[in-house]
Amino acid sequence: MHLMWYFLVSLLAGFVGALSGMGGGIILIPALTFLGVDIKEAIAISIVSVIATSSGAASAYVRNRIANVKIGMFLEMFTIVGALVGAAITLVSGQRLLFIAFGAVLMVSWAALFLQRHVGWQPVVHQDGLSHWLELEGSYHDQVTGEVVAYRGRRAYLGGPLMFGAGMIAGLLGIGAGELKVLIHDLVMGLPPKVSTTTSNLIIGVTALAGTSVYLAAGLINPGVAAPVIVGIVAGAFIGTRVLVRLSNEAIRRFFMFVLFVLGIQMIIRGFLS
Amino acid sequence: MKDVREEDGFDIEALVGYILLAGVLGSITLILAGLAWHLVRTGELGIQYGIAGMNFFEFLVSDLRQLASHAVRPRLLVSLGIALLMLTPFVRVLASMIYFMLAEHNWKYTAFTAFVLVVLTYSLFLR
Repeated sequence: MHLMWYFLVSLLAGFVGALSGMGGGIILIPALTFLGVDIKEAIAISIVSVIATSSGAASAYVRNRIANVKIGMFLEMFTIVGALVGAAITLVSGQRLLFIAFGAVLMVSWAALFLQRHVGWQPVVHQDGLSHWLELEGSYHDQVTGEVVAYRGRRAYLGGPLMFGAGMIAGLLGIGAGELKVLIHDLVMGLPPKVSTTTSNLIIGVTALAGTSVYLAAGLINPGVAAPVIVGIVAGAFIGTRVLVRLSNEAIRRFFMFVLFVLGIQMIIRGFLS
Repeated sequence: MKDVREEDGFDIEALVGYILLAGVLGSITLILAGLAWHLVRTGELGIQYGIAGMNFFEFLVSDLRQLASHAVRPRLLVSLGIALLMLTPFVRVLASMIYFMLAEHNWKYTAFTAFVLVVLTYSLFLR
């Protein structure tokens, strides 16, 4: 009856992933390892399923015009190269290292978000030359306040290289690394929270494809596990997306922090015990 | 900021959104059909098979060859579902490039998108 368990944990992972902009892998990988799947195989399965979650969720955001296609495309140049490097590193890494790296990434993301929690979004007043040249700007209709929010992005010179790192972690650990992408969008580039989570979903799909290619070629993708996981995670993401457009920015943020904290502690403990 | 999307009749956001949606739904349908067929034929809920180390194009070609020779089996449907899923972001990037090139004449973003496409194509040929 493993198939049913794969399906159920994937359903939950997809739901939380869509809500937070994380992509779902962060819950899926620990859960799959609990079900007896090898961590490298779990990483490979997760990154395939991340294509599904992020594409499913992004389809709604893009049509709602919340996600920014240009900002996404610019940053994808960096994340896909990072993902190829990251996946190549995983193929030669030990298990314990992967567990601890996974937990560490979660805790760092949580800490950064925790320190940032009282600062709301401030529109970028002065845009630097490069970001202006890159046309990093847009507007969207906020369903909560009913207003049209116009915004500009900044510090593309910093955001791009940092996205290489986020892409590398995504490829390395088989996650969307949406939490890191959201942090870069929020803290470095000054994008509004909803634009950062939804645009990160768009970037995640392409980044995950680069990682998936490496794991497929290495023979780590087991279709017997991948099949129920993909179906479950998409169903969960679909439900999560419906909830997201109705929640306020602060509610998303708090929920997101809680999930990061619990999973971070859990993975680090398992890393040291393994 | 002028919003040209409403005026020119062509909507890249809608197109990208529908490509993503169609790819994911198509993939899920194929996988579910494969699992259901396997369940009916063998009475087992789970399906077991491996993909021996091959790159995406070899994987796709082997699937399409089986499809052409009418060797349709449950596991072929599951494989096609996974292949379609992997093609989804790829086609999304391709559509964006065509849009930036033909509709917007935005050469800067055409070049960025082309770079993404080249790296993705390279990764799909990895062994």
